[in-house]
Amino acid sequence: MTAAAPLRAVLPEPPFRVPRDRADLQMFLQAALTLEHLTIPPYLTAMHTLRAGTNRPAFFVIRSVVLEEMLHMTLVANLLNAVGGRPLVAHSRFVSAYPARLPFSRDDVTVALRHFGVEALETFLAVERPAYVAEPPGHPSVREDDGWTSVGQFYRTIREGVLRLADRLGERELFRGDPARQVGPGDFYNSGGEVFPVTDLASALTALRVITEQGEGADRTVFDSDDRLFGEARQPAHYFRFEEILRQRSYGPHDTPATGPSGPALAVTWHDVHPIDPAARAADYPPGGEVRRAADRFDDVYALLLCVLERAFTGDPGALRRTVPTMLELRDLAGWLCRNPHPDPEKRARGLFASPTYEITDSRLARARSEPAG
Amino acid sequence: MTAGDRHDVIVVGAGLAGSLVAKHLGDRGRRVLVLEAGTRTLDTWPGHLDALNTYYAALAKVPNAPYRPNAAAPSPDVLDLEGLPSGGYRAHGYFLQDGPLPYASDYLRACGGTTLHWMGLVPRMHPDDFAVRADYGYGRDWPLGYADLEPHYRAAEHALGAAGDADEQREAIGLPFPPGYAYPMRAIPRSHLDRLLAARLDGVPLRETPDGPGTVLRVVTTPHARNGTPDPRHDHYRPAGATGLPNYGERCVGNASCVPICPVQAKYDARKTQAAWSHRVTLRARAVVNRVLVAGDGRVLGVEYQRYDDPAAPAHTTRTAEADVVVLAAHAVENARLLLLSGLANSSDQVGRNLMDHPTLLTWGLLNRPVGPFRGPGSTSGLECFRTGPARRARAPFRVEIANWGWSWPTGAPASDVARLLGIGAEPGAPRGAGLFGTALRETLGHEVGRQLCLQFAMEQDAESRNRVTLDPRHRDALGNPRPVLTYDLSEHVKRGIAAARAVSARLFALLGADDRTAYAPGPAAPGWYRFEGRDYVFQGAGHAAGTHVMGDSPATSVVDPWQRCWDHPNLYAVGCGSMPSVGTSNPSLTMAALALRSAEAVDRDLAELRRPLVVRQPGGSS
Repeated sequence: MTAAAPLRAVLPEPPFRVPRDRADLQMFLQAALTLEHLTIPPYLTAMHTLRAGTNRPAFFVIRSVVLEEMLHMTLVANLLNAVGGRPLVAHSRFVSAYPARLPFSRDDVTVALRHFGVEALETFLAVERPAYVAEPPGHPSVREDDGWTSVGQFYRTIREGVLRLADRLGERELFRGDPARQVGPGDFYNSGGEVFPVTDLASALTALRVITEQGEGADRTVFDSDDRLFGEARQPAHYFRFEEILRQRSYGPHDTPATGPSGPALAVTWHDVHPIDPAARAADYPPGGEVRRAADRFDDVYALLLCVLERAFTGDPGALRRTVPTMLELRDLAGWLCRNPHPDPEKRARGLFASPTYEITDSRLARARSEPAG
Repeated sequence: MTAGDRHDVIVVGAGLAGSLVAKHLGDRGRRVLVLEAGTRTLDTWPGHLDALNTYYAALAKVPNAPYRPNAAAPSPDVLDLEGLPSGGYRAHGYFLQDGPLPYASDYLRACGGTTLHWMGLVPRMHPDDFAVRADYGYGRDWPLGYADLEPHYRAAEHALGAAGDADEQREAIGLPFPPGYAYPMRAIPRSHLDRLLAARLDGVPLRETPDGPGTVLRVVTTPHARNGTPDPRHDHYRPAGATGLPNYGERCVGNASCVPICPVQAKYDARKTQAAWSHRVTLRARAVVNRVLVAGDGRVLGVEYQRYDDPAAPAHTTRTAEADVVVLAAHAVENARLLLLSGLANSSDQVGRNLMDHPTLLTWGLLNRPVGPFRGPGSTSGLECFRTGPARRARAPFRVEIANWGWSWPTGAPASDVARLLGIGAEPGAPRGAGLFGTALRETLGHEVGRQLCLQFAMEQDAESRNRVTLDPRHRDALGNPRPVLTYDLSEHVKRGIAAARAVSARLFALLGADDRTAYAPGPAAPGWYRFEGRDYVFQGAGHAAGTHVMGDSPATSVVDPWQRCWDHPNLYAVGCGSMPSVGTSNPSLTMAALALRSAEAVDRDLAELRRPLVVRQPGGSS
């Protein structure tokens, strides 16, 4: 088989400018919400392809990052609600097809559903890479650029837009969204950080700070700001946490991005993995078989999860607790799939296993939406 | 002796009570040394994962299944007891037993103590529970009452992170709370089974016997020390995460293995309190205290302890540590053992006596519809209407826990159901019968296991001086310390309570339309079998040891005073369930925690008193 370049999904990027008005800002924030979610299926796939009980340090690192991405999604939804927007989650446009091109990036990065390994981790590093240099569009230093250079730059631009609009419209007018739509700490709890309502400029800026500093570190250090913002233990930011796995060594308290990790060794056994086909489609699995049923069920439950999330983000924050059983079912289904040798004899002979394919179509979402709430 | 090994306070035992006392005193600037007999492997994340693996691989998922045996500081295990074919029992393991019935409970000697495997239910005691001798004519009375303890109940609920509904507890049980009080977290949601039972039982009047006292049934949610949804009325409470891995820890998502281990540490355990200790608290694990050192005037000087390195090797060194106050918090049985080994605090001859538990009767049946078992915490609701009232004069009162885990406790379901349907009999080595396989097996299992209903009737046991812990120097552990000998029986009062519970269960099953499958017979798995008034019963231990250094208002009849201070030794405290003169029908950990916090305040006052500057006055001078 020739290695034809796979078709890649391309996420729409907002224009390369600072948001000009409320509608513009809402569009930027919806793009941010979509972007936060884009990372979750690849991270989960890496996690689920680890052989059960092995590579536990890596497992818990990836898990902690996924949880914080869920936090970021929720904070972006809060911010979008705060400025009068309506988060869109249960829509096929929200869920990228994979492989996808990483948006807001100067480099051509492919985000695919890969098993745990060097290739997956290098993608994750590209996603989380700190954007130390890129100023928002219009800044003299980026005069030559005609497009986004990094995710960090995109968030910095949102921050600039929020500041300008708060100044122009007045803080109260900008943050006129219904406070009842805000998800608070009672509705959500995870590992690092905390969900808090966004109701004014200060909370909006803190939300943006959490998102960027958990991802790429605070003040150009290795560490996030969970200690300062939430009184929790500080941890290496996502980029550096992934780097710890890749380099099989932890960051120590005095390490910097320049020194790299020099702390204790972190053991990784690269072969304790269920390799998968990154281009897998549910259609690859024979209809009627158990693998196909599990893969279809996975997508159905994922669609249901998105429907419940949308309900939680559009007026019923308490609905978040109903996502818990769906997430547990997804965990179980993904575990079964990834431990099952690929049904295709040729792929099985190459040592490949089945995997969830995240094909969340509108018809699936429509079916999920009509399921009784519960 | 280590020179300079001197502290303000020595706490013996890093379980729930000891950890709370150390936290309270460390926060107030006291230098505290905590000596723990077990290891602290489980403080680490790899240690936690190892315990999970051990649990997943264990054939019998008993409370101590996840925790590796420690020869230097052995723990009792419920598997140590073996029922004999025609009644009676044999005790193996750490405990020696010589009573008519076995003491059927375990505990865990490790950093974090028995909270590592507890269920995490934190109901308060009923106000009537504190004066059972005066009001109902059995057992022993407390020298204090519910009102004395109430502020400390609140402090304990905050320290443990309790989830509950105070209004429901007040209205349904009659527990007094201050107006407007809210638990740190909202009640853990009811299980499907709870709702099903509530729909059929709530408001139904029930009489135990045709002419007996009546009650009205009501399913009531149980308070838990388990992460749920914070209640904003409770002052910005944030659930405490796991120990060992930064920023990890979840709310309860129903992993359904609280006993013996919560995989995500949503359940409170004492490690969470230890994680919040100030730097003034020092924990020394693998340190088995085997003697409290005392001066001629009765004041204690410190403790002697055995430090070991490898739990499997019979090698240790003996060391000494000194302090102004010593607090024993090593578990009811171990506190008594330590006092007996030291020959202390026993002028009343009550040390080791009054051993109590919550003897538990299990009843089980099949409902006529799916109940969704094996999900959520082990129990989320109960029937509270048998906890007090005039019937108490005649029989032990009880609390009914609705079990969410099917028949797992009485029959070992669902594994035993799988074995049965596969044709595997109870006799090892017997030829296998015809079994079900494939779809037929799955469907039959789903049909049966999905309808399993089990009720747990936890009896109040009255304090009896004959139920006791003693020591037998002929039988020693690996460090050379005499092992505990337990002498245990159930009183007529308890046996009448169990008989009443059996009758109540039959009525409940009839109301529910359940097919009663309860059966009691002697056998290897029934060491708690006995006959009473012509009927067979089997009781289980609840793991709630109490009474062994009983609290009272007189040095002549009790071991500790109302502050859990030993009458005979003004700077020696014995804290824990061992101080309880009666145990009511509530799971005792919350009450123990409230008592421990109350005693920590007393220790702090004692230390302040010791450090009060001496005012030197001129003889005959004024002021």
